Amino acid sequence: MKNKNLPSGTRDEFGTEAEVKETIQNKLFQGFRRRGFRKLTTPVLEYSDVFQPLNAENYRPYQLLDEQGEPLVLRPDLTLPVARVMSTTGIELPVKWYYGGDVFRVKKQLSGSYNQLTQAGIEIVGYKGLKADWECLEVALAGCRDMAIENVTIELSHAKFVDVLIDQLDLPEPTKAGLKQALFAKDLSKYNQLAQPLAETPFSSFINEWPWLFGNFDEVMKVVDTLPPIEELKGIVNHLKSTAAFIQQLFPKVNVTLDLSIPSPQSYYTGMAFRGFTDKSSGYLFSGGRYDDLLTNFQNVKTSAVGVAFDVDALVERTSFPDDTPTTLIFFEDDQWQEAEAALSKFANATLCLTDDFEDAKRLAASTNSQLIDLTKAGEK
Amino acid sequence: MERIKIALTKGRTEDQVVPLLEAAGINCEGIRNKQRRLIFDEDPRYEIILVKGPDVLTYLNSGSVQIGIVGSDILAEQENFQYAMLDLNVGKCRFVLASTKDFNPQAHRRKIIATKYPNITKRYFQGIGEDVEIIKIEGSVELAPLIGLADAIVDIVETGNTLRENNLQVFAKLQPVNTKVVVNRLALRQYQPQIKSLIASLAKADDQLIQSKLIKE
Repeated sequence: MKNKNLPSGTRDEFGTEAEVKETIQNKLFQGFRRRGFRKLTTPVLEYSDVFQPLNAENYRPYQLLDEQGEPLVLRPDLTLPVARVMSTTGIELPVKWYYGGDVFRVKKQLSGSYNQLTQAGIEIVGYKGLKADWECLEVALAGCRDMAIENVTIELSHAKFVDVLIDQLDLPEPTKAGLKQALFAKDLSKYNQLAQPLAETPFSSFINEWPWLFGNFDEVMKVVDTLPPIEELKGIVNHLKSTAAFIQQLFPKVNVTLDLSIPSPQSYYTGMAFRGFTDKSSGYLFSGGRYDDLLTNFQNVKTSAVGVAFDVDALVERTSFPDDTPTTLIFFEDDQWQEAEAALSKFANATLCLTDDFEDAKRLAASTNSQLIDLTKAGEK
Repeated sequence: MERIKIALTKGRTEDQVVPLLEAAGINCEGIRNKQRRLIFDEDPRYEIILVKGPDVLTYLNSGSVQIGIVGSDILAEQENFQYAMLDLNVGKCRFVLASTKDFNPQAHRRKIIATKYPNITKRYFQGIGEDVEIIKIEGSVELAPLIGLADAIVDIVETGNTLRENNLQVFAKLQPVNTKVVVNRLALRQYQPQIKSLIASLAKADDQLIQSKLIKE
């Protein structure tokens, strides 16, 4: 019998923690609605094929079979279900969605990590231009500001930068692949060995710095400026620069960084990607980006899409919990229900005391450190 | 400035890495006279904790420490997702397939292999297109073929002395092993300058160690 155990990687949430989480979710949802986003709710169960584009390493799903023997999963992600909806319903574009819910990812057993995570986010579908990317950034950073989360760092990156640059290098194809792999894994020992043939080329000073090419936006851009002119990079660099300027103008307190040494978050990303963290968090607060290839898993026609999702659990972790303010207990007789309701609405943080006996009510008040209001005047008798 | 926490594998890795850390300018006095302590903060920039090898990634993945120093054997067995940034020239050894001399690797039967490293063993045999039964052993793996628990073992050897003393011989060489410096992905962004300079000074210390070894030889 396992009727007293939780499966590994799950947890119950109650009291203040659960309430803070609910408050945060509601705040986010209200913010999305205020900006004219519409709600989209998808089921927790989906066919496993919906998530085929996800990198299986970090998104190992819980699997089960439906009655026909088709493999189902508990959704490990909330973006691909949106793509499924968009490609099957003929909803007119452009459209702005918001969503919220739990995703399930099986992580290493007994490692202290949770397999059920709560996310809330938006998807903007059908807008090609940078404005859509910027609205996502606005939503992400305004969200953090509204939660009073300070010292936010936003890291910009681009899904195509590494591939465009690797293409320019005069190396045999297998070396290029190895170099890219070592760059992404930050395996400096292997990277330096593979990059040796580039020592005398115009790329050398860039190549030396590449694995460390993240951090302060302007510093990273200085290293990019050492590159010989590459036509395909111009557009990417311009997008990144104007986006950094946009953030600095609207959110001057946010630290803008750039990472040009990481892989695209998923295979379907096509443009800028970004994620936010603080100096103390052990995980990212939000992540998102442009993925114009998102719908190509479901249909042949490309559709512009950009989105961002908050890790609600990470926001909870970074929120200071309110002190337990003293509560008020209202003790009353059966026939005083209306009076009790009136008292309930008068006091903040009050609750009806449902004991029949005044002595029990007194004990309860003492043990919960509450003020006791006695409508029966039993204490005076 | 906040200290960087380093999880160092205790035991042989610790013995080999402490001189490198010292050569990189890190005060390791506490570790040298540790008694029963497990946390060392003699150097104001770092907090070094001593943990068992398989626990290094657990601490690193949770973000409780920013840097781990651990053998590549453990990284390969546990499937590491963090940045293994630097190879150190210490803890060098190799995985081998070993058994008694009458073992026939070509025998047409499903072999039984004992090991502390079931994932590495599985991957090796998958790679050569063979399916084997794996028995996980916690220590003294050499015993398994001698006592008849398994047909052969997959284990790490450094000098080969233990194998020879137990009348076992090597039938195949698998991947090499060395000690690696692993960095938590997010921590690298949060502590970029400090980690960059630590990696640089460790790499330099490691180079010097190689040079001095070459000179001695």
